[in-house]
Amino acid sequence: MSVIGECLVAFVFGSIVGLLVQRSRFCNTAALRDAMLFKTYRNTKPLLMGMMILTFGFTLFLTFGEGKAMQFDVGLNQVAGLFLFGIGMVLAGACTVSTWVKAGEGNVGAMWALLFTFIGMFLFSLLWSENFWPPASISMTGEPNLEALQLGFINARTLQDKFGVPAVIFGMVQVFLLGLIYRAIVKKEQAQLLKHDKVAAAHKVELAEPA
Amino acid sequence: MNDFFKNTLDPMVALTLIAVLDIFLFLLVGAWTVGGGETMITGLVAQFFLGDELSRIPFWNLVFVPDAGYWKIYISLGMLFGAIVSAILSKEFYLRFPRRLGEWVMITIGGLLMGFGIRLAFVCNVSTFFGLTPQMNLGGYLAISGILAGAWVGSWIYKKVLEG
Repeated sequence: MSVIGECLVAFVFGSIVGLLVQRSRFCNTAALRDAMLFKTYRNTKPLLMGMMILTFGFTLFLTFGEGKAMQFDVGLNQVAGLFLFGIGMVLAGACTVSTWVKAGEGNVGAMWALLFTFIGMFLFSLLWSENFWPPASISMTGEPNLEALQLGFINARTLQDKFGVPAVIFGMVQVFLLGLIYRAIVKKEQAQLLKHDKVAAAHKVELAEPA
Repeated sequence: MNDFFKNTLDPMVALTLIAVLDIFLFLLVGAWTVGGGETMITGLVAQFFLGDELSRIPFWNLVFVPDAGYWKIYISLGMLFGAIVSAILSKEFYLRFPRRLGEWVMITIGGLLMGFGIRLAFVCNVSTFFGLTPQMNLGGYLAISGILAGAWVGSWIYKKVLEG
């Protein structure tokens, strides 16, 4: 696909996502924060649903060697980086998607968060230029490199090549596991609702007595 | 159509649609991601201010060479555009400012941590949940363990701040 074609496809995709996220108020930060802090799961369930659909779709196409999978060595830097990101997103009250969407709604706080995301990236570029860690893609080998705390490249397709089992089978195992988490959340919500009804009923009796 | 811009859309419907579209995007150019585009925007803005000086910083030579034709930039610009259109049509567009100084400080620190963390990890939260993990990339699981721990610590701080 030509460069303009790629950019156009990306823009159309982004526009639809912006519209859907603005209308649904979906937020990745809320999906994690609200589950941990308030035990509410309005955003957590759609996140899991999206991941289940994507796992099936991606691994299905990877089975046939289709699709453009992300290809780079991974290691300790993913844990450390997303740990910092996780703290940051809760403090900022927005993730990468909702900063753009909220900025589009006129939220100056979100624009401020975006500005400092860019500044944070630039600061990292200065640090990287001093120690060159984590390794740049040009020096990646796909194999574990423990000295650089890198574990190499593994995904559903490399599992297929290694074990001779279609990638989609591994994908279906993951869909099943995500489904179990989803079911646990639904059960927890039902228990919360039941408890809520009981408390409400008890409250009603108390109120009814003096009358 | 009027109702679409009047009522809140069920996030389950929104994420189902996004997931299906993301599969098409994966087939055409690559899975949904935000951090890479944001890094390229950072590079382009830095180039605008610093000019050729920027190429003396190795990161912008070896990892991200500023390029306005990088497709990931346009996902971010699209999300901004889609949100503006949607907010205007649903009469939800207006300027909102954080009220307290504490909020400004939290957003500033949060933004810096997000930007720094994305670059350290090579991935953002979107790639983690909607790209790497569904491809069963080992990096997805590493990133999820990091973001869960980070969100927990962040929530703890948030709670402390809320309680004053």
